[in-house]
Amino acid sequence: MPQLLTNKRLILLLLGVILLVALISFSLRDRDNVSLPEQIIKDAVGAGQSVFSRPAHFVTGIFDNVDSLLNTFEENQHLKTRLEEFAGVQAEVKDLRSENEELKKIVGKEEDLRDFNPIQATVIARNPDQWEEKLILNRGANQGVKPNMAVMTASGLIGKVTLTTPTTSTVELISTLNPNYRVSAMVVGGAKDVYGLIEGYDAERHELLLKRIDANIELKKGDQVISSGLGGIFPKGVLIGTITEVTIDEFGLTKLAYVKPAADFSLLNHVIIADRLMPEVDGEDNGVTGDDES
Amino acid sequence: MIRFLIPLICLVLFFMEPVFGLFSPLNIGGELNYIVPRFLIMFLIFLTLYYDLKHAMFYGLFFGLLYDVFYIDIIGLYSFLYPATCLAAAAAFKRIPRNLLTATLLTLVLLALFEFLLYQFFLLISFTGMPLGTFITTRLWPTMIANSIFLVMLGWIFKSVIVTQLSERDNKIGLY
Repeated sequence: MPQLLTNKRLILLLLGVILLVALISFSLRDRDNVSLPEQIIKDAVGAGQSVFSRPAHFVTGIFDNVDSLLNTFEENQHLKTRLEEFAGVQAEVKDLRSENEELKKIVGKEEDLRDFNPIQATVIARNPDQWEEKLILNRGANQGVKPNMAVMTASGLIGKVTLTTPTTSTVELISTLNPNYRVSAMVVGGAKDVYGLIEGYDAERHELLLKRIDANIELKKGDQVISSGLGGIFPKGVLIGTITEVTIDEFGLTKLAYVKPAADFSLLNHVIIADRLMPEVDGEDNGVTGDDES
Repeated sequence: MIRFLIPLICLVLFFMEPVFGLFSPLNIGGELNYIVPRFLIMFLIFLTLYYDLKHAMFYGLFFGLLYDVFYIDIIGLYSFLYPATCLAAAAAFKRIPRNLLTATLLTLVLLALFEFLLYQFFLLISFTGMPLGTFITTRLWPTMIANSIFLVMLGWIFKSVIVTQLSERDNKIGLY
């Protein structure tokens, strides 16, 4: 009965498509934690992946070394000019730091939004199809990594942790198009600190968007943007980038600044996960704001 | 030869993809070029052509699932597309002459189709806002060039490995 066979196949195909759509929509929901089978697969693949990523990091390390070797002369010239300036700045920083500590002691304030417990991690894989900006690190819940923690390199903020399993964690880079991705930030350099939100990424300019700045506040090109710590999860003072252009946003009510990220998102190797010492609360940094919560 | 050679090759290629992915995006002349390594699917297409469809689809399903869970957190995307591509390869290969050149060309055509389907999917769920022109110049071309270099270098090795495995299997069947 060939007719029955084709019908059977058709039903199977339909069932398959339904299952597929259901699975995809299930996994596209915003999930806080991964299910057990997923955790097992992630841990197993992560273990294999770290074996393979070690020689790769060795090779990229060589490339980096050769690259920096080629630029040695120019860099040296540049650094020499900065060196004298640096000595002065360092003395000033030391002075300010001790003064700050003294003042804190006087006021009796011990905790600071800036303090965090660094967790060193190695990038074991980058999402190979590169549609979503994701990294996978070799540290997980066992080492104290929790979702929404800030992830940075020595040069600046790169993203935040979205999912954790016992031994791996997934990081969503700050250059994502995800509309729920917000980092509460502040602009330093002016007379007063200016607060805003990093919200969105301009893929053509390769720059971040700093939104919700009061229209009356003047911002300059070249001002530095750091995380403010007021979003509830990130520590304060992590460098995000520098402002390249200031415009009015699409509604004309607040200002919008383009921020060139300080960290380089390609060829990432070693990163630091910031575990903030202050208690963490729900806020902008994990995409939960008052109006969403209800 | 080793009995588990084919799954072993699949596993190695699977782990190699993100390692090569670490080199991307390449900055050439101020323009970011995304190179997506697609070693596994190319090997699976070769497996379909020279071994058999059933094995290739099974490996496609298995590794597609691993890929979905570990890298992209969208379950069902690659685990559907890998076997579907194998199926398409088997259907297409019936109509064209069988040799290494046509196999390579067919693989590359299917790979371009595969990339395009993924682009359409991510556009649909708005994970990307990349216009079609940008997609073709900064993603499709670099990816196709890099992967065709890989395939031209290793395609004949794939073929010879698969063919020896196949003849060994046939011999065994003959024995019993």
